[in-house]
Amino acid sequence: MAAALSGILAYLGCGLLGFIGAPRAFSLLALLGGTISFSLWAPGFPEVLVGGLPWGIAVAGDPWAVGLWGLGLILHATILLHARGRRDAFHPLTTVLIGTCLAAALSRDLFNLYVLMDLSSLLALVLIASGRRVRAVWAGLQYLILAEVGLTLYLFGLGLVYGRLGTLSVSALASLGPDLADPALAVGAALLLVGAAVKTGLFVFGLWLPQAHGQAPTEVSVLLSGIVVKVGVVALARLAEAFPVGTVLLLLGIVTGFGGLVYALWEQDLKVFLGFHTVSQLGYMLIGLGLGAGTGALLYAVAHGLFKGLLFLAAGEGVERVGQRRMADLAGQLSLPVAVGLAVGTWAIAGLPPLAGFAAKGVLAQAAPGWAKTVLFALGLGTAVSFSKLVPLLRPCGRGRTGGLGLLSGAVIAFGLGGILAIPGLLSLPACGAALLAAVIGYALHLGLRTVRPRLPRFTFDRALVSALAGAVGVAGLVTLSWLPWGR
Amino acid sequence: MEGLAAVALAIALVGVGFWTLIVRRNLIWKLLGLNVGASGAILFLVALAHRPGARPPIVGLGPGPSADPLPHALVLTAIVIDFATLALALVYVIFLTEHRHTQDVRRLERDEERGWPQP
Repeated sequence: MAAALSGILAYLGCGLLGFIGAPRAFSLLALLGGTISFSLWAPGFPEVLVGGLPWGIAVAGDPWAVGLWGLGLILHATILLHARGRRDAFHPLTTVLIGTCLAAALSRDLFNLYVLMDLSSLLALVLIASGRRVRAVWAGLQYLILAEVGLTLYLFGLGLVYGRLGTLSVSALASLGPDLADPALAVGAALLLVGAAVKTGLFVFGLWLPQAHGQAPTEVSVLLSGIVVKVGVVALARLAEAFPVGTVLLLLGIVTGFGGLVYALWEQDLKVFLGFHTVSQLGYMLIGLGLGAGTGALLYAVAHGLFKGLLFLAAGEGVERVGQRRMADLAGQLSLPVAVGLAVGTWAIAGLPPLAGFAAKGVLAQAAPGWAKTVLFALGLGTAVSFSKLVPLLRPCGRGRTGGLGLLSGAVIAFGLGGILAIPGLLSLPACGAALLAAVIGYALHLGLRTVRPRLPRFTFDRALVSALAGAVGVAGLVTLSWLPWGR
Repeated sequence: MEGLAAVALAIALVGVGFWTLIVRRNLIWKLLGLNVGASGAILFLVALAHRPGARPPIVGLGPGPSADPLPHALVLTAIVIDFATLALALVYVIFLTEHRHTQDVRRLERDEERGWPQP
């Protein structure tokens, strides 16, 4: 426990010292401190109350903490490799942001999670707007306002749950076995869920996500999709542990998965397209949480952090170098490392063996009942259809900078191979066949659908706001209804 | 009874705040609405700490029931966070005002759709 806390302290301290001078050196020092701390507590540690009884903050080195620490450290190393020339406060801010995410992975206290989610939103806004582009500032401001609305609702839920049960520790809540037939508790749990959902960026709650992730500078997009989103996922995982809300999470997961996908299918801006796919991929994690397959959801979260980080890094590098954002204008313009990075990322996100996406999807499918397997297959098919748009981009043109692309590609490949070797039964013939089938049908469908151009409603700021609040009412109703005597 | 009145007031504050947030077109009004809503959440937590006939939770104020100290501690953090959020958001509103000469959300949306023409 002391090792983990000192790692976080190293991150926050080095981040703050970096504001004074030598930002890159302090960032590197933080990475070093974090890695040493991680290797000291690595297999995990049992839950401890920091600050002592009765009101200490519960922290534990559970699998989520281990997974997210590994992910965070790899992404930090990538950014240090890639963002060599960045000046200003970039390195100190990313260091503090990563420290915040690492702390959130350890935390098992609902209020502590609220503080860390809020801190990560504030830091993310500063980083999104750091390019001083009007688009990015406007997207970031929408993000901040929506996240604050969600967190205000979260605070209300916190109050209701604390008023009923007198504790905010996840383990204590889980052992009390909260009965959601009590309406106050049901509304409280629903508000907590909605707050975390808005912050995470689920469909209809957090429609700020694609623009904010798409408009941010390259390395910032990597961090946002890689690990900041996972803070919200961790909060949702903790809520799923404390309250019996599996069905609601499952429903939200299906809606999020397909909702993000529909928008991604017809998006032309490369980075915003990847942002919509982050929404869609969150659906997989939520379906995992809703089915009670915590390990599958965790593996998916880590795998997604790696391959989406790689995709955003490659896409951002290409967009910055070429100066175009539309996919059609980028075809045949990208340098060799960028094209290879995009190819590895696309291969992984489509779930083809033997990369990270295949291993994570395999673990999820192992835990899923038959109908859920169909849903997962349909989601994978949709992902393949929309990622077929990237195929013309993969034709390389000249050499370019590799930067952090090599490291992240290696991590995606290593995660996939390691997962297949460590978990028995993943690399079976039916699983590989289904993955290949999805990819082939997906490409064929893409060719057929190319001429279809529906007009989807744009999500302006006011619409996003209203849909977030309407979604809040909906989820509160859903949780209450599912636990009424006749609903069971 | 005071506790219930405070809870009602808190819910009313959130209602007014979020209503302002949705209806007003000016970004500064929206931020003020958000802050009023957040104050509602804070008041809600304070109201939950209330016990009938309770004193402030300070050591040395004598025997008898005291209010629950934990929500008070939480609220202190939440107040600081709200302040930081409002300050940071206003910085970016100033940025948008300088670059686009407007704080009107609808005009910003229209400009976004048209690819941000020079104002």
